Formats: sequence, C-alpha cells, structure tokens
Amino acid sequence: MVDLAIFITLLALGYGIGQYAEKRHYRSILEREAKLNFLPAIAVRFPPPEPHYAQALVYGSTVVSVDYFKRFVAALRNLFGGRVMVYESLLDRARREALLRMKAQAEALGAKMVFNIKYETMSISKGARQTVGSVEVLAYGTALIEPHA
Amino acid sequence: MKYSNPRIPEGINTSKRHALTEFAVLAGGALLLIALVGWVLGSTGGYLARQLPFEYEASLVPESLLQSDASEPLQRYLDRLANRLIAEMEVPEDMDVRLSFSGEDTFNAFATLGGNVLLYRGLTEQLPHENALSMLIAHEIAHVVHRDPIVGIGRAAAIQLAVSLFLGDPNLSVLGSAGIYTQLHFSREMEGAADAAALAAVNAVYGHVAGAQDLFATIQVKREKTGTGEPAAIFSSHPLDRQRLEAITSLAEEHGWVTTGPTQPLPAEFTSWMEQAALKAGQNR
Repeated sequence: MVDLAIFITLLALGYGIGQYAEKRHYRSILEREAKLNFLPAIAVRFPPPEPHYAQALVYGSTVVSVDYFKRFVAALRNLFGGRVMVYESLLDRARREALLRMKAQAEALGAKMVFNIKYETMSISKGARQTVGSVEVLAYGTALIEPHA
Repeated sequence: MKYSNPRIPEGINTSKRHALTEFAVLAGGALLLIALVGWVLGSTGGYLARQLPFEYEASLVPESLLQSDASEPLQRYLDRLANRLIAEMEVPEDMDVRLSFSGEDTFNAFATLGGNVLLYRGLTEQLPHENALSMLIAHEIAHVVHRDPIVGIGRAAAIQLAVSLFLGDPNLSVLGSAGIYTQLHFSREMEGAADAAALAAVNAVYGHVAGAQDLFATIQVKREKTGTGEPAAIFSSHPLDRQRLEAITSLAEEHGWVTTGPTQPLPAEFTSWMEQAALKAGQNR
C-alpha cells in the first residue's frame, strides 16, 4: 500500500513537474529560434567559394534525462510497441536546444552562417541497469566568419 | 548564393496526443492484459491441480503443521461433530478429513491439502453455541470436498511461476514454503459454494439453520473490533459478511429450510478444554 502511494506520488510529481518544465522550455526555444533565425544553419558540406570566410568549429550539446512519468509510460510502450510519443517531445527539445547553443556560439564568433551541420546522439547510461537513462545530443558545424576588411 | 533557414511549422517531430491519454490507454491495456493472463493461468493451474489424485495431496503437507493441541475429550467432541456433518455431506469414499486443533490465539480456521482442517482456539472460543461451531467445521470440510486447497495452490503456483519467469528470477520453490499451506486464498465463488454446502449439512444435522449465521456475526464483531485495516487473514477474501448473511437467508428460503429453532449449547467442559489447549500450545512453543 505504501509502495503504491509512493509510486503514484512519483508519477504525479513526474507528470506535473515534467509537463511544466517542457512547456517552459518550448517557450524559450521558440523565442530563441526566432532571435537566431538570421543565422542560417546549413547541412551542405561545401561552403560558398567566395568570399573567403574564416572558419571555426562550433558545437552545442545538451544532456537530457527523463522524468518518472515518461519513463513509466515508455516502459508500458515496450509491452505493446508503437511510437514512444512521450520521448519524441523530449528528444525534439534536446535537438533544438543543442542547435540553439551551437548557433549562440557561432553568433558570439560573429559568424555569417554555419555549414556542414551534424547531429550526434549518444546514450550515457547505455546497458547499465537500475540507472535513469539519459542522452546527450550534440550539434556541430563549421562557422563561416566574414574576414575583417 | 543566398542562404536562409525557413520557419518550420511546429509539431512535425512530436505527436499531438496528450501524455495523459497515452498513459490511460497504455495502463488500461496493460491492466487488461495482466487480468486476462492471470485469469487464464489461474484457471489452467486450478484445472491441472484438480487432476492430482487426493492421496498425493496428503504427502505435500508438512507434518509439523498438523499437531493437534486438543485434549482427548475435545478431540473426540470435534471428531463427533465432524463425523455427523460428513455423514450429511457428499464426501467421496477416498477422502479422509482430519480435524486438528491449535491452542494458539489466532482468529482463524482453515482447510488445507490432504483433507486437513485446522481450527484455532482464537476463533473457536468466541463461538456462542454448537450450531455455529458446526457451521465452521462444515464450511472447512466443504472446502476439502470441493478440493479448494489444491486448486488454490495450483492457481497461485501458476501465477507465481509466470510472474517470476517474467521478472527473470525464477523462484520455483513456491511449493516448498510453509506459508502457502496456511494462507491459502480462496475465491469468492469457492467461499460461497462452501457456505451453501455447509448450510445444507447443518440443516440436515439439526433440522434447522438457526445459529449458523452466528458464525459470521462473530467474525463481523471481530472485524469491527480490529478495524478494517487488518481483517483476520483467512476472511479477507471471503465475501463481505453482510452479503454472506443475505446469501444464507436466501438459500434457506430457496430450500425451505427452517430458520428458527433451539440452538445446541456447547458442552459444559468446553471452556476448560480451551484453557488446556492454550496451555499446551504455550508449552509446545
């Protein structure tokens, strides 16, 4: 009985706090994306030949973990299969946050644009039992900085 | 060349479905699945257990469980009651019912494998008259006749096995633990059927069913005293007392059994038998 109460409390806490944090994070993401939209992030590997830009590696990374509620719902998903919807928003946030951090770095360098954008995702707790799963999402690219006249 | 990032519409990489909807659908499905699998396993286990020959059951019971604390006259008295009831119940030829008495203060009575019935002083000494005691004994004998103990163990073992296999920790020693013999849980259907059979036997012995419901009244009083938080172990899966009382009344009506009549008092020495059994239990401990 006590176990059940603890479980439900954790579930409710996970849901409440998780949803609140997610809403807030999305607000901040949208705001910063609009602000940094002037800085194009391009997946193409070859930068324009002219003019000769200075180049620098820029990257941004986020590490996300998952709340109790989402973990439980995802575990239930394991039973039936299908889209793990609760994780989709989590990873969407992580990718966008990583890109935003990368762009912020590029902006600080005075870059015009960032080329050859790549994402990498790695699981931190892979294979380890009894640990809370967390993932790092890394976005990196080549910042093209206008040479000083 | 001009480079720019278009504004991508929101919600392409995420789904619109609310997290709580997702939770409700999945949790509901999982519960349904568990209930279904549990039911199938339970029925299969129960069915298979029923196929075991009765003689085999007896060899499964640990001897230590059935040491009787009853003095000679008490045991004779209980056996006489049991035999009168057995004569009125449809007990198969090969089925031996063995009645034991424990001097412990436990408020309980149970039937277990091999036709063994154990009464505890804690419950027995609270009963107001012989009719209630007969009802109790008949109820437990009915469990034996219906083979509820082995079916209960079969069900529990099948489910336990599935759970431990699922959790990756196969614990196959279910049948080895003593707890399983004393804390059998019977389903409501089993309890209802045992009540009905017991009532028929009591009616046949005494010519009426008056006093039979006093058994449940005694249990109810005890339950109210201990509070709902901790009902006496064996009665926790029993149908609610009120429902049982109603079921008895309607059964009696249905069969045209007389519901009033004189109740048989317990023997004068009964209280001293109880004290002797308590003493003996204390010494054995």
